[in-house]
Amino acid sequence: MKKFGIGLCLSAMLFTSVAWAAEQPLKKETPPDLYEGTPDWYRATYKDNVGLREGSGPFKDYFKPQMLDMYWQPNRHYEPMKNLDHSIFIEKERRDLCVTCHEEATPGVVSDWRSSGHKNPKSSPYLSARTAEIEKRTNRILNEVHCFDCHADTKTKQIRMPTGEVCGECHRPQFDDFLREREMGRPNHIQSWEANTIVPWYAEAARRGYLYGQHGCDLCHSGAEKCDVCHTRHKFSAAEGRQPEACITCHMGPDHPDAESYGESKHGVIYHKEEEHFDFTRPLSEVRPGKDYRTPTCQFCHMYEKHGRFIHNPVMKGIWRMGTVPPKNLEYTSSLKDYPYGIKIIADKIDIYSEENVAKRSYWLEVCAKCHSDRFADTYLKSLDEFMFQAHTLADRAQKIVEDLIADGYLYPSAADRDPYPLSDGIEKQLSPEFLGEPIYNAFKTLKGKFPVVGPILGVYGMFLQQQDNPSNIENMYNRLWFWYKLQGYKGTAHVQQDVSWWWGQAPMMMEFTKIQSEAARLRREGRIEKASLTK
Amino acid sequence: MKPKVLLDKVGFWRATAVTGAALMLSIAPMTVSAVNIPTEVTDLGKDTYKKYCSPCHGEEGKGDGPLARSMLPKPRDFTRGAYKFRTTPSGSLPTDEDIYRTVSYGVPNSTMIPWDILTEEQRASVIPVLKSFSEAFEVRKPDAPVTVGLPLRPTERAIEEGKKIYEEKLECWKCHGVEGRGDGPSAAEQEDDFGFPIKPFDFTTGKFKGGNSAQDVYLRFTTGLNGTPMPSFAKELTDEQRWCLTYYVMSLVKPEGTKK
Repeated sequence: MKKFGIGLCLSAMLFTSVAWAAEQPLKKETPPDLYEGTPDWYRATYKDNVGLREGSGPFKDYFKPQMLDMYWQPNRHYEPMKNLDHSIFIEKERRDLCVTCHEEATPGVVSDWRSSGHKNPKSSPYLSARTAEIEKRTNRILNEVHCFDCHADTKTKQIRMPTGEVCGECHRPQFDDFLREREMGRPNHIQSWEANTIVPWYAEAARRGYLYGQHGCDLCHSGAEKCDVCHTRHKFSAAEGRQPEACITCHMGPDHPDAESYGESKHGVIYHKEEEHFDFTRPLSEVRPGKDYRTPTCQFCHMYEKHGRFIHNPVMKGIWRMGTVPPKNLEYTSSLKDYPYGIKIIADKIDIYSEENVAKRSYWLEVCAKCHSDRFADTYLKSLDEFMFQAHTLADRAQKIVEDLIADGYLYPSAADRDPYPLSDGIEKQLSPEFLGEPIYNAFKTLKGKFPVVGPILGVYGMFLQQQDNPSNIENMYNRLWFWYKLQGYKGTAHVQQDVSWWWGQAPMMMEFTKIQSEAARLRREGRIEKASLTK
Repeated sequence: MKPKVLLDKVGFWRATAVTGAALMLSIAPMTVSAVNIPTEVTDLGKDTYKKYCSPCHGEEGKGDGPLARSMLPKPRDFTRGAYKFRTTPSGSLPTDEDIYRTVSYGVPNSTMIPWDILTEEQRASVIPVLKSFSEAFEVRKPDAPVTVGLPLRPTERAIEEGKKIYEEKLECWKCHGVEGRGDGPSAAEQEDDFGFPIKPFDFTTGKFKGGNSAQDVYLRFTTGLNGTPMPSFAKELTDEQRWCLTYYVMSLVKPEGTKK
């Protein structure tokens, strides 16, 4: 089984599973920087702090952030509290008073911390060994990691909301592994905030009065800078991060039913039946299949990098990724043959049989071989590929029906008579041919967004913003086909959940396809009747 | 002896080592502070109050600062002049030194930290500000501090006598629980004068709100805690009985780690 998907993320907790990484020579002495290697404009719109004055990303001027974004994207949006100035506690480094007050003000926080490895970093031989590595690396003695160490910004004398960069000061190998998600491009965790706010419909929805309707978007997409997404504060437990439940608050639902498909698969069922036998205190690299785990977890499969090594991010082995990007290995009848239409900020089609992906597949087989024969596992994964090829083929046929309808002038209401594509004015103003490619940019410039956009990936806007007659019924149907049912079938198949594969995937995909056919026929018929009546 | 300013860090065990009044008297001077407490509201006092006190206690001392709403117990509302920790008799206003002591010592088991992070001058400066929130200080003066009688030694017999008072005479257990965990049958019904539910003190924590010395605890029984259901027993109990009760409730403290 494979795919991008269920994943543990972020660096930060205490002493993670990635034992091999700690053995690597120290790569760099520069401070941890989540935005390392990104261009200036990127840092200026995602990292530089603006409080809650403006948004983030290229369309930052078109929306103000949600209030909670200060916690979700702290580098950019955090503002220290105004009610009580904490600077005196930081100036005088009164560590005792943090606990004295917060033991009462927020007892859960203090209780979590007391039971964490941060409070007692040498409470077991294993923790002591990991702490010794950190002490060596940071040239500090660590008998206790205190509120002050993470929350006190000693430069500004203000309380800070720790990001992965703060965690990375000690947990550098995990941080560096997490940073490598950028190599794979989106979808990943480290660029999840970018994915959230770079899409034009986010800003458009905000200016149409739906900013807080996007609360759910922000919650999942807050995994870019923070480690407590997987290792909940203030225990920051490595063991917790190794449990499948760490992933499921985000990895569920109609576009990636990972929790549902894993949870109800034989893998998941065995996990639930026998979870007390799973030893999550063991680093992934030391897990003995069949003894410590009888079935794999999300983390065990997705954080396995290759050749027995694990990496502290779950995206490195992804081949089909989220399942939205069309494969190179098909002949398309629709405009998908031209995907990604010259748009530079969208990844190219996936070549399932590229040298890189063939190698990745062999790493998947290494994981499966813990319990399955090479032939069985290979056959299973090849079946997944076939499922995906067939699903993308069906999507291509559906897209062709919609595109032909548009080309023949039967889309109703037509693009000229409805609201434009989300934030078209902003796209024209803020983006350039450099990002969009000449043809797409020119389309926005000349038609001002009054044109239909169908299919992966920009056509997905209809899932996030419904405007006046935009998208139309048939376009919505197609969105459901390729963005919901295709992806549900993908996850059901990848995670070995037969019911999800069929009843949430293949079956509704086909039902939606015939609905699209009949809707197209109806629109054509009505269009012809209308034309005939006008010519009489 | 009249306890005045009580920056008393003397703990229970040290107190129990006290074998007589003479030795007790020799400790007392250590507790006296020479801080000069202003009689009028000053700019320093206003600034200090605004910056460090008003977030919880509110700009007008009503206990309704922006941080107050999620806090339990609620920050003190100063407008009634009801102060829990005093050396003065039940119902009396506190002395300036009493207030200074609470500011400096804090209130354990609450978000009122010991504000020793502020200078002595800053701490003293907020006292006229706190008093200015209540008319009571304009029309009345605090009564004279209570007289602290000669302490007993915490012998087994004294503790046993205290237990009888706790269990039979005063039935303290009805609120504070048989084992002193603050979980007696009437515990859930208790309310303070401001209408907030108030938890009877859990003696097993050992973090006595008004201070951990035997004299601190003795004073609570003698003065009561104004604004709360905890009365003074200055009349019901003799001086000696109050010491016995003091030692009994202090014997209920459970060392950390053995608590349920």
